[in-house]
Amino acid sequence: MAHIGFSTGALMLGNFQEALRLMRGTSTTATELSALRLPELPVLIEALPELNLGQFEYVSIHAPSRFSADEEGRVIELLQRVPDRWPIIVHPDTIHDSGKWIGFGSQLSIENLDRRKSVGRNAEELCRWFERLPDAKLCFDLAHAHQCDRTMTEAFRILLKFRERICQLHISELDSAGHHFPLSYGSMQAFSEIASLIPADVPAILESLNPFQGAEEAKQRSWIEREMKRANTAIGREGMVSDTPVSYGQLPLSSSAVPA
Amino acid sequence: MSGSPCAGQSESPLAELERILGCHWKNIEDAHRRTEDTLQQLSKILEGKPGPDTSVIVHGSLGRYECTQGSDLDWTFLVDGEANAGVQDIFIEIKKALFGEARFVELGLQKPGGEGTFGALAFSQPIVLFIGGEDDSNSNTTRRVLLLLEALPVGERRLAFDRVRKNILKRYIDEDRRLLEKKQDNESRRWVPLFLLNDFARYWRTMAVDFAYKQFDRGNDGYALRNIKSGLSRKLLFASGLLACFWCDPIISKNESQEISKQSLIHCLSTFLSLTPLERIALFFTTHLRVSESKFLRENAKDLFCSYDAFLGILNDSDKRNRLKKLMQEEEESDEIFREAWKTRKVFRKAIQDMFLGNESPLRNFSIERGVF
Repeated sequence: MAHIGFSTGALMLGNFQEALRLMRGTSTTATELSALRLPELPVLIEALPELNLGQFEYVSIHAPSRFSADEEGRVIELLQRVPDRWPIIVHPDTIHDSGKWIGFGSQLSIENLDRRKSVGRNAEELCRWFERLPDAKLCFDLAHAHQCDRTMTEAFRILLKFRERICQLHISELDSAGHHFPLSYGSMQAFSEIASLIPADVPAILESLNPFQGAEEAKQRSWIEREMKRANTAIGREGMVSDTPVSYGQLPLSSSAVPA
Repeated sequence: MSGSPCAGQSESPLAELERILGCHWKNIEDAHRRTEDTLQQLSKILEGKPGPDTSVIVHGSLGRYECTQGSDLDWTFLVDGEANAGVQDIFIEIKKALFGEARFVELGLQKPGGEGTFGALAFSQPIVLFIGGEDDSNSNTTRRVLLLLEALPVGERRLAFDRVRKNILKRYIDEDRRLLEKKQDNESRRWVPLFLLNDFARYWRTMAVDFAYKQFDRGNDGYALRNIKSGLSRKLLFASGLLACFWCDPIISKNESQEISKQSLIHCLSTFLSLTPLERIALFFTTHLRVSESKFLRENAKDLFCSYDAFLGILNDSDKRNRLKKLMQEEEESDEIFREAWKTRKVFRKAIQDMFLGNESPLRNFSIERGVF
């Protein structure tokens, strides 16, 4: 059974400790520690030795999605303190000098990007990054691929070309402005079209934005379980699930979508 | 020679076919060069005007890379994005930039035809979603089919164009129920997308019907020129669309690694249709001539391309073009230029018939089985 879980940033924006606590008591077996904003990275790295990650069979870390060339060296220094067995997920457009990243070898995982970016969106653009970083793996983001090409033809081409490199999936729904949302029928349908090409044992990390942030924890955990089932269904790892939604009731829903 | 995309090939199919046959099609080459120049100029005129999620698209001879003196500037402003009231202003700005009389003289182009299909705003949703049924108007069908067969985005903004094209293809592929399924003999499967093929065929017949309609609507104005064009450039368009459908079958494309998936077919069609109509036909001949030294195919290709080259030569000669434009129906028989054009049309017709239905044609069985009934 492939591991599945959430990005800490999707469950609890900017608060990985709370996100990890929320995942306790759920069936998640994988997590991605998110430091999408640069100031989050040193805090996360400092906290690593103390984190309770016992329930997770798979852990990865997401590097910041924006930093300057001057800051690149410091980012790399911090990421070098990440345990070797944890993949480091990087947006290729953040890399200023690929030579500085080559030392990470196969620990580095390049993510395919959404359509607002000018690189890493399709098979040809990813190819250029793998020429520069030949040992790097691929974090295949289905939502990004779907947003770039709703027909999933580019997703299909990326899978054909780089299936062997995939070390992790990102699953969520993305609107045209690049905001993450929980999975809808449309995304599930689209992902299922290329599901047979996705390696069966690759861990899946959900980036669906938690719509119940701030609500009672039982409700949030119930949503986590349901969203994971929907994701597994979409990529052919589980039969169809009941479409009964978690009751939204009168709870305050999070209104701010997280940028990709 | 080619400036259009031809992924993975260093030589365009047309240049390769010329080399294989030992031919040189000067008029095709001139038209190609003229198109490149015109597109560059249009790109400069439109620089900074189209917004995100939009593309300015040219159709007609420009869209086929066959621009000659006096070609029409058939264009649409394609919008594929969220509701945005500002789109109207952008459209008017583009129209002003393109429609200035001085611009047309400068570019050597004519204004678009009077049906209102071109020189207009076009929204992606009806084009993609209304295929068949009451809402699929003549203009909607025309825009959709031409987006696939005869269209080029101008300038840098091509994402909307690429996106809409792929989504149109997805509709045709997704809703073709038995596509890719194994046939009853359990050995072969159907690769040819019939929903798409039927819409190409419908459009071709619509063009033929509209030919008669225009005769009624416009009288003699431009009749002879339209007549010649319907037998050459219009026929080429349909032939290249029919070929695109047959190209999905690995027997025709010689692509033995073709994956059995809908996305693979969308990619195959999208790549093939990104070639110009002449390049699509040339790619068919080069692909088959590479694996068999067929005298039939060589002669067939020569007739087809030489006659088309002669046709472009006639169009690019302003005296001949103007003569054809003004010619009265009753003058046709005795007119030397019309007779020359008619002869060219006949050779091309025979060549297209041989290409699809000739006894030695690799397309023969496909044409009989899928193209007719």
